[in-house]
Amino acid sequence: MRVSLNQITEYLDFALPPTDELVGMINRQLGTVEDVTDLSEHFRGAVIVKVDSCEKHPNADKLHVCMVDDGSGDLTQVVCGAPNVKAGMFAVWLKPGATVPSTATDTEPFVLGARELRGVMSNGMLASPKELGLGDSHEGILEIDPDEAKPIGADVVPGVPFADAYGLNDVLIEIENKMFTHRPDLFGQLGVAREIAGIQGKKFISPDWYDIERLSLPGTATDASELTVFNDAGDGAPRFMAQIIRGVTIKPSPIWLQCALIRMGGKPINNVVDATNYIMLLTAQPTHAYDLAKIRGASIGARMAVKGETIRLLNGKTYELDDSDIVVADKEGPIGLAGIMGGGDSEVSNTTTDIVLEVANFDMYSVRKSSMRHGVFTDALTRFNKGQSPYQNPVVLSLLSSLITDISGGVASKQSYDVGDSYDRGYDKLQHDETGTITSEFINRRLGLSLTDEEVAALLSNVEFATDTDETGIDYQVPFWRTDIEQAEDIVEEVGRLYGFDKLPRELPMRSIAPAAENAHLMLKRIARTNLYQAGANEVLTYSFVHKKLLEQAGQDAEHAYKLSNALSPDLQYYRLSLTPSLLDKVHPNIKAGHGEFALFEWNKVHYKGEMDELEPEVPNEDEHIALVIAYDVKHQPKGSPYYSARRYASEVIDTDESELLPMSQFDFARDEWARQLAAPYEPERSVVIVKNDRVRGVIGEFTSSVRAKFKLPEYTAGFELHTDLVTTKAAMYKPLSRFPSVTQDVSIRVDATTHYDALLRVVRETIAEHRGNIDIALEPIGVYEPEGEAFKTTTLRLKMTSHETTLRDQDVKPIVEAIAHEVDAKLHGSVV
Amino acid sequence: MSPSDRIATARAELLKRYETLSNKSDILKSRELKELFSVIPTLEPHERAGFGQSVNALSNELKAMVDSESVAVKELRSIDVTAPFDSNAPKPELLPSEQGSIHPLMAEISRLSEIFSRMGFVIEQSREIDDQYHMFEALNFPKGHPARDDYDTFMTVETDSDGSPLIAPAHTSTMQNRILKKYKSNLESGDAIAAVVPDRVFRNEDVDARHEHTFYQVEGVYVAENVHAGMLIATLQKFLEEYYERTLNVRVNPFYFPFTEPSFEFALSCPFCGGEDPACKVCSGEGWIELLGCGMIHPNVLKAAGIDPNVHTGFAFGCGVDRLVMMKYAIEDVRHFHSAKLDFLKQF
Repeated sequence: MRVSLNQITEYLDFALPPTDELVGMINRQLGTVEDVTDLSEHFRGAVIVKVDSCEKHPNADKLHVCMVDDGSGDLTQVVCGAPNVKAGMFAVWLKPGATVPSTATDTEPFVLGARELRGVMSNGMLASPKELGLGDSHEGILEIDPDEAKPIGADVVPGVPFADAYGLNDVLIEIENKMFTHRPDLFGQLGVAREIAGIQGKKFISPDWYDIERLSLPGTATDASELTVFNDAGDGAPRFMAQIIRGVTIKPSPIWLQCALIRMGGKPINNVVDATNYIMLLTAQPTHAYDLAKIRGASIGARMAVKGETIRLLNGKTYELDDSDIVVADKEGPIGLAGIMGGGDSEVSNTTTDIVLEVANFDMYSVRKSSMRHGVFTDALTRFNKGQSPYQNPVVLSLLSSLITDISGGVASKQSYDVGDSYDRGYDKLQHDETGTITSEFINRRLGLSLTDEEVAALLSNVEFATDTDETGIDYQVPFWRTDIEQAEDIVEEVGRLYGFDKLPRELPMRSIAPAAENAHLMLKRIARTNLYQAGANEVLTYSFVHKKLLEQAGQDAEHAYKLSNALSPDLQYYRLSLTPSLLDKVHPNIKAGHGEFALFEWNKVHYKGEMDELEPEVPNEDEHIALVIAYDVKHQPKGSPYYSARRYASEVIDTDESELLPMSQFDFARDEWARQLAAPYEPERSVVIVKNDRVRGVIGEFTSSVRAKFKLPEYTAGFELHTDLVTTKAAMYKPLSRFPSVTQDVSIRVDATTHYDALLRVVRETIAEHRGNIDIALEPIGVYEPEGEAFKTTTLRLKMTSHETTLRDQDVKPIVEAIAHEVDAKLHGSVV
Repeated sequence: MSPSDRIATARAELLKRYETLSNKSDILKSRELKELFSVIPTLEPHERAGFGQSVNALSNELKAMVDSESVAVKELRSIDVTAPFDSNAPKPELLPSEQGSIHPLMAEISRLSEIFSRMGFVIEQSREIDDQYHMFEALNFPKGHPARDDYDTFMTVETDSDGSPLIAPAHTSTMQNRILKKYKSNLESGDAIAAVVPDRVFRNEDVDARHEHTFYQVEGVYVAENVHAGMLIATLQKFLEEYYERTLNVRVNPFYFPFTEPSFEFALSCPFCGGEDPACKVCSGEGWIELLGCGMIHPNVLKAAGIDPNVHTGFAFGCGVDRLVMMKYAIEDVRHFHSAKLDFLKQF
């Protein structure tokens, strides 16, 4: 929202503080100031002059040599090429050294000098409207009528700075719109002026024209013979007011109005259109003018569009409508997209003589939806979609029609039209009756203040709440333009802001010293992360959204993934099914960047379509996984299969000894589609699935050839992905120390090469359990030797035996090793070597 | 030579050469194949289609050979996946511990959480898919409200039971209603609800050095009897002073959020230059850093969780984590966070 300080000063009966101070105040008590522009800078060196004489240029047909009077007593020579330059006229002279105002914000503003034009010295130039930033006209120089009535500015005499004469000596303050989402009134200068008074503790009084009690409304009985005004939009258009003005002359606006528009961010077009925009910028109420001659069937009003109807808007584009769009229509069809933009076919043009003014109120939700659907965003929409007050329509219409008759001639019809459900809703009443009672205690409790009822009432009445204090508290009546006050807390906000939030007492809450509960899950996450980091792995974060291609490259089926309907690009279209593909995707770039050995891990969420949350069945289930990928390039590749490396890393976060690890090649995925998706990138011959409570909860392994090729993985790559259910922290299991020394014995067992390690281990463990007596035995694998070309392998296990009763001797240990040899032979046809 | 003969000749030649190649995929770059393709546009229109198809067929045949080769060569023999290490190989080594790193965002979240934890806040997690009720309705954003436009929300094709698209939460406030309900019993026993939610959020925004569609936010909620707006300011100030290990000035600007009333934008004096350095890169010499949005929880939000706003009041705040980390280490590009670049990660 751009605020013109010159404009708001018009509504204030006190002087504004210095700009810096004011900006600070606005920041603290109204909304964030994004930008401050000193407009007078753009017009420095632009001075009003009287053309004293105007002679033909001796060497050029189209140029004139003028002597201009800048009030200094001396005349200055300026060469001018405009056809309309003549002696006696008032014009704007850009002195040497002045910047052409329309280029002031360019990266290289155009600065004037004194230079010869066809042998005649020209000091600066006389400016066209375009050069002054007033519209597009540059056929001639701006001609100023010194006697034209204007509401602000210094008198027009030679030597007066142009900016001073037309209010362009202005400071513009840009306030962030977001702050005003709930404040439709603050999209007009008047509303901001009121707040600026309020935050300075000054009482604001709205100008007479905005006072609905003083307004003498034109009659509202319609004269059907002239124009029928209808409103069939129901809730879509709570109020639709219209008035006819006949006999207008369309021409450029008076200069003061053009200047007022550019100050507030508008753009001059013609007097009628400028007037509608100007009134909107002042009051926040959008208005529109239609050419009466182009209204077909002498009928205008609001209705819902019929599906399939089309409309060409002022932007020249045609839109297809449906029955959720509100339109302004005549007898034949739509002539405007309500609240958003007028139609191109009913536009006011240079030949227009009679106009219809529309000042309507439209439902904020409907216009927002239409604009989103059609992709049309306008200043009118920005205001309507905040929910303008329907009470202000009559005062705005009255102001608009009197301004237009002032500047365009013409006669306003005696009657205006006011149709819609407004009578049922009571909008025709002079004051709406939103009232309430609040106590200063209620307010103080929420702000930590100790204001009295009277102080509260004073703050509120500064911004024109009607208030009355008695023993029950403060009775207040909400002013008609405030559509945001719905409950007592809104008054708290109002009081706090007007008082100054920065003055609130800053004190910490007092509370019980009971410790806040630890989040066990997050604790686990921290431990897992620390373990992996200490094991040399790097934590990464990758996007939750992936490309369909990534899923497919990993062998997954996008059918199972939630899909975004408004993704930024195909790269981010699907929620991921598992983390592994995202990590695989990051391996090659890091290898290319020169990293020869690394392990990437991530702890994040995954989603499988159709699985709903157990406790909240309304929302999808979210599983948390921890995944890791370890990769070594050829140069750094260690001995052995990479699977074991991934498994070693997995043992940093889960207890691999205690988990149920099933060779993936033996697992039947038919009964668990989710597990199939998880396992898809992994090579069944070199992976395990981890099963817990009968469900697959993880996988450790190497990747399929296809995945390796597609992700350009080095040969030594493996990984794991685990549901975080599996992640455990080992609690220490202390055993009292023995007074007797331990004995260590390595046992090498030869079995068939196809015998799995876990089968061997099971036999050894069972045997130990049966024969150990009172001896504690710890098992540690030392090595597996598999000679090339042989069908057997030798596994060496280290047994560390401890007794709490005696010093172990050979005869204590021997039976155990013999028992192992016996069992290995019996169950696995193997032998101890 | 007729066109079809040309192809046959080339095919024979290529198949012969294929056997001799060490890098089989080189066959796809062969001169013969390129020539055949270049002939297509020179042919009469009636010949073009047939010839083109034949050339493509040959090209596909060669591709299939190359593909099958690469898979066949790398066919992996089965290993004993139940063993802790490979046959004839030592127990696998972990990488040197100095190579490891914790992601800077996660490290910062741990630190933030630890401070809030000391201040008596419980730590909760957020969601990555949620329904519109939790993201909007429960937070006093009615359907169709313009404030929803301020959150460029990703939506899914899939819908909830109302037929509304599911969403990728644009703020961790999506957990607020759940947290208020979960800890409501604290209020009944005269204690406070105090929770923070540091987690991942999403905005449908084009990515550049300063904008990410995926980022982290920490949401805070505090509800008890007689909680006032001054306490909000004091609590955040205390937190930030602890975080930056120095005294700071803070200020609030009025703002608008549907789920708080009043709402504020919260700024702190620049902890890096203290407002002393006009060339400070962090605060652009302004001396203030706008850090977060906050406010007193809107009565409708409390009501939606079954809390009586006449008895209990509270405050909430939401702070971007990425920005804190970027300021702390002078990180120039937000995209590094999700790049998984080791060159970046290993610096932390």
